[in-house]
Amino acid sequence: MIGSPDVVAFAKEDEYGQTSPDLWPLPEEFSVPLYPLADSNPWAKTSYAKFTKDFILISEFSEQVGPQPLLTIPDDPKVCGTFDLNYFSLRIMSVDYQASFVGHPPGTGYPRLSFVEDSRVVLGDSKEGAFAYVHHLTLYDLEARGFVRPFCMAYVAADEKKIMLQFQELSLRFSQASECLKAGNRRAFAKELQRKLRDLEYTHSVLQREEGLQREAGPQSMYSAHAVEKANELANVEKSIFEHRDLLKQISSYHRRPRRDPHAVTCQKCVDECLSECEELLNKYAKIAYPCGYGEKAGKGEGHPRGQGEDDDEEEEGVKRKLSYTPQLIKAKSAKCFDKRLKTLQELCDKTFYEATVELLKETERSFRGDLCYLYTRRLDKALQRKQRVTTFLFEEDLNDDDEDELGTLRPFCAVNHAVDNYVLLNPPPIVLAPEPHELDALERPEHLDPASETSITLESELGLGESHLESSPSDQTLETQESSEETKGSFSSDKSGVGLAEIQQSLVSMKSEAPDPDPDSDLTPDPNHNLERESSSEEMETTAGEDEGENGGDQTPMSLLEVVSELEANREEECEGVSGSELLVPIDTACCMVQEGFLYEASAPEAVPHLCQNSHLQPSQTLVVNQEPQALLPLQDDYTVGSPCSESPATGLELPSGLLGDAVSRTSAEDGSDCTMSASTGSDQTASPLGYGALVTLRQRKKAGQGALRFVRQYPFAIQALWCLLSGRTLVVLGADEGRVRRLVAALALFVPAPGKCGERVQAWLSCPFTLTDLQRWKLIGLQRVASPLGSSMLYSLSRYSRYISILDADHKTLRCPPYRGQLLANIADHRTYIRRGSTYFLHLQSTLCHLAAKAFLFTFTHHLHLPVSSTEGLEVVESRRRCFLQEQLGLSEEDSQILLYLSQLITQQYLQPTGSSAAAPSFSFNYTTSILYKI
Amino acid sequence: MSSGCPPQSPAVAKSEVSVEGECPLLAATFAYWDNILGPRVRHIWVPKGDQLMFLSDGEVTFLANHTLNGEILRSAECGAVDVKFFVLAEKGVIIVSLIFDGELKGDKNTCALSIILPQTELAFYLPLHTICVERLKHVIRKGRIWMQKVASTYRHLALACTEEQGYNIISVLSLEIVPIMELLTSMKTHSVPEDIDIKDTVLNDDDIGDSCHEDFLHKAISSHLQTCGCSIVVGSNPEKINKIVRTLCLFLTPAERKCSRLCRADDSFKYDTGLFVQGLLKDSTGSFVLPFRQVLYSPYPTTHIDVDINTVKQMPPCHEHTYNQRRYMRSELSALWKTDSEDDIPPDTVIHTDETFTPDLNIFQDVMHKDTLVKSFIIEVFMLKPGLSLRSTYLAQFLLLLHRKALTLLKYIEDETQKGKKPFRSLRNLKTDLDLMVEGDLNIVMAFAEKLRAGLHSFVFGKPFYTSMQERDVLTSF
Repeated sequence: MIGSPDVVAFAKEDEYGQTSPDLWPLPEEFSVPLYPLADSNPWAKTSYAKFTKDFILISEFSEQVGPQPLLTIPDDPKVCGTFDLNYFSLRIMSVDYQASFVGHPPGTGYPRLSFVEDSRVVLGDSKEGAFAYVHHLTLYDLEARGFVRPFCMAYVAADEKKIMLQFQELSLRFSQASECLKAGNRRAFAKELQRKLRDLEYTHSVLQREEGLQREAGPQSMYSAHAVEKANELANVEKSIFEHRDLLKQISSYHRRPRRDPHAVTCQKCVDECLSECEELLNKYAKIAYPCGYGEKAGKGEGHPRGQGEDDDEEEEGVKRKLSYTPQLIKAKSAKCFDKRLKTLQELCDKTFYEATVELLKETERSFRGDLCYLYTRRLDKALQRKQRVTTFLFEEDLNDDDEDELGTLRPFCAVNHAVDNYVLLNPPPIVLAPEPHELDALERPEHLDPASETSITLESELGLGESHLESSPSDQTLETQESSEETKGSFSSDKSGVGLAEIQQSLVSMKSEAPDPDPDSDLTPDPNHNLERESSSEEMETTAGEDEGENGGDQTPMSLLEVVSELEANREEECEGVSGSELLVPIDTACCMVQEGFLYEASAPEAVPHLCQNSHLQPSQTLVVNQEPQALLPLQDDYTVGSPCSESPATGLELPSGLLGDAVSRTSAEDGSDCTMSASTGSDQTASPLGYGALVTLRQRKKAGQGALRFVRQYPFAIQALWCLLSGRTLVVLGADEGRVRRLVAALALFVPAPGKCGERVQAWLSCPFTLTDLQRWKLIGLQRVASPLGSSMLYSLSRYSRYISILDADHKTLRCPPYRGQLLANIADHRTYIRRGSTYFLHLQSTLCHLAAKAFLFTFTHHLHLPVSSTEGLEVVESRRRCFLQEQLGLSEEDSQILLYLSQLITQQYLQPTGSSAAAPSFSFNYTTSILYKI
Repeated sequence: MSSGCPPQSPAVAKSEVSVEGECPLLAATFAYWDNILGPRVRHIWVPKGDQLMFLSDGEVTFLANHTLNGEILRSAECGAVDVKFFVLAEKGVIIVSLIFDGELKGDKNTCALSIILPQTELAFYLPLHTICVERLKHVIRKGRIWMQKVASTYRHLALACTEEQGYNIISVLSLEIVPIMELLTSMKTHSVPEDIDIKDTVLNDDDIGDSCHEDFLHKAISSHLQTCGCSIVVGSNPEKINKIVRTLCLFLTPAERKCSRLCRADDSFKYDTGLFVQGLLKDSTGSFVLPFRQVLYSPYPTTHIDVDINTVKQMPPCHEHTYNQRRYMRSELSALWKTDSEDDIPPDTVIHTDETFTPDLNIFQDVMHKDTLVKSFIIEVFMLKPGLSLRSTYLAQFLLLLHRKALTLLKYIEDETQKGKKPFRSLRNLKTDLDLMVEGDLNIVMAFAEKLRAGLHSFVFGKPFYTSMQERDVLTSF
């Protein structure tokens, strides 16, 4: 190998930079550059292209004017800049891609249609800095030479690598578009043939009649020159009819031919429908294309422009046909003739299909827009996320399984038929013999409409164009203002109302520590003070019960935890057998999570809800309007548990012992949307929220929120405390009078909420009424309106009351009240002196850090030996200390940092045990007695 | 076209190349645009033996001519090599053509060197496209020089050109055509699968160190990642080699895995430039000789792992590697330019030297930079129970983290330099902000970023001829 002594002997110190003059130097054109452009600027490779961004170009090789560009997508001249489209069209169309005979081959009776497979070519013009994926296809035109019109669709980019790396995706997309366009073209072609046949038949009948008249008028067995001419003309027409019949037969047999292209995208539905249509078409054609019969019958309709020779069957449709198309008298020319202007691309293709194709191409352009490295990483990102579904719910946006960006999941579909699944109206229109009104018959009845035109409106939705698209680049347009932040001016301890300074790590045993409501039968009183008292007592009970729970919590356990796990697992396996979503779950060792019993209880918690419904006596106060965000109206997660005082379910001991009123109000607001009013926006910037307002939270929204998050981190020196609260499961209330400001803050901070739910269910961006203890379990981030009214005072009172469970960020006074954080885990994402300039960059950095946290939480959750007693004599305390030891010594985490991992671990466990139907795992409700501190700027 | 040249025979010269196994390549062709006769095929290479489909000489000629269609319009700069890629469903083939200008028979001609494969091999070929193209590009550089030299020599001697000259060019081109046939053939049978079962890797051991020493494993993976996932694994035991190969491939993308090759049990493959991971078997003497030139021509620096003696060595980082590579290439081309006669055409494996450049053959060095990313991953992954999907999931998380860090780093530099318009001066801030204070961590993330944005190392670390040591000095004194 290199480096072995025998070779090393040849080595000597490198003499970098020392050159001697060369008498016979190698010309640069034969050499390689020592310092390529990429070395001085890796971003500069594409800068010499004359167009600003990638675009799609459709060109044709016109038999009249040669290669010419037809349209670009996007249809904006700025995109192409000074790039010479004519020249580039010439370049890409000059490839002789067909290599097959078209037209009228010798030895055959009639012209043959050539069914040529599409060709794909990647080529470039290094001088212009333009590279293209070119998809060649052939359309049929009755008036074109050889009946074919060569077209190509090209994806033009400045980065050659981008095209080659995404060749298969491009090929698939363009194959879809091509098939769609060709399907529309075949329909249009068949339509045109039908019209032509009708014209020919009509002409034939007229000629026949004229010829007959002349024959009768002339002397016996003598033919005048005019009669001979008529007879020849008649023969030509008959020949033409046969040729067109044959063409119709050929185009109808398109789908029966074997495909030679293994990469062609065919839609079975499309094929089936076309086949049946072809059958229908051929039947019709057989009836109408019998020239003699047509002529005989047509003779009866003397002087009438419309042939009335259709048989009885035809007469059923006759009325419509008569009105839809009037045959023309045409010159008896061969079908090969072409003396008209060439049809445009739109005219060559059925309108529906054409529009679908253009939409498909627009979608393609959008999805491939942007820098390759972002597109590439995004694809890798998704592929890797699919392998770790057990944790992606924590911080990742919802993975769309149908996403077409992934080659593996690309579904071959026909743009038109694809929509048939969704819309009955969107069946591909049958071939209508009637021409478009504007084209052939201006006197068409207005009520006759081409179904194609009806369906085209909805095609956008058929094609899934409403889906989210890739962004061109995560870069922001402007640099974020670098706001300098002041150091924390001071902080002082407050809120000594807690039970003490006992820093009990409730989160470890939080689910065990929560007791059922001690007084299930107590009346619900509308008096808020009374309620508060009740809630207070609940809290006390909670505290004491939590301590007791450790002793007799086992009594509440319905069966051995292992059995529960096994049962759950078995049930789920039965339910989800064959479901892809469960593939990860089967092999994962469930025993790792067994100690965290709370989750098991929560698994059966939904049973408690109907129970509550029976026992709760809803008082008038329950109609209290909760002003909250629409996403709060979404159905509650099945694992959302409210207090169930005397539930017999196994979850009894672990349910949230919150006040019944609170529960009821919460439930009412959640389950009965009519009782809720939307939060009144007061001219605030609602778009600042990353929340989906009931819709899915998209990556784009999250990226936008990154800017706000960076601003928050820079502006507030105590940001790290707030982030820790969110990441450790402590509800953060953002209090402020200005809705816009609060919403923006919530939007930014929502990025840090673990398991926010697909639609951000765990975040309440704007609340204008007091919240309850139950809400604290549901929402981990709340934007709360500060009002001066009596309601406001009660809200403030509730804030004070629940202060041990929540942290309060006052947006108006720029203060934060929360327990102190002394860890290091978050230092890197909450450094107000960071040099990260843009929100999008910060978002990427945040994604990395959160991904790292999720990985550690996964490790902690599923590290087998941590959660199980090594021997039967080993108690929970030992296991507990082992876990703590792991966090502190193995992972090197401080107390506060450990809380983050514990919380994430709980969520993972819960998600793992209850994966179905819950996008956002119900967070466990935990609290500790650490004294809160007020941080100020 | 010079006078006195007789019209060429319609028969096209053809070489049959013996390749062991089923070669997916149908043919390779060298065609040129004759200024009078139009596209002409000069030479055809076909593999001897089993083939996936058969193309007659006529069809091959037709396709070869096809590759030059439209090139009459070519307006590329002198010396540029453009790549065209055809998927011709009508013919059921894919064609990769490299278009360049060269002097044949005294005239400037547009030439095309092409390889033809069945269309069914598209998915197999695409990941290997860059490797094939880069290797062919370089042999074309040499071919162009040779064409130029032959033409000028004959002009000087006022001799009529003959077919013999063509042979000379063909022999130069054959230097790479034949190895590419062998490469594709070997990849057909021994490429690493896209999906690797973790059970076939070291990561399935019950405990760390069961089949591979912890420190060795850490160093191997760390260095492998620092060299952009490019490694060669040598040893005497094919199973052991392949286990390490698969383990390293776990850290690659599926496409990169398709560009990796397992070791053959009976006889070793030759080293192939451009593969990401390749297993190579030592000979009976216990050694494996690496061709210096090919190793240096690899697009990324390489990690050398010897599983017999558990050593890990690595080449200098990307910017230094690229610089060395280019200097060597220039040296090689210059040497060819100065060659006086055909007999002096240097064999492919000889190291060329000239007065200005003597390469440092001791290109594999010890792994200097320790990291924390891989170290903690190795320790932690073995805490998870084997046999389940836990370790695979944790690996996916680790890779996701690395990819995201790389993208973040890239974006950070992009912001700081306004997409390269300004020099990058804030490496220290970057390391602090992105938590990449440990040199090994930075190297790993930079390597990932380099794959996303070629040239990043050179851009960030300034003058590319700084050695790693110099660079470290610069960084520490920053």
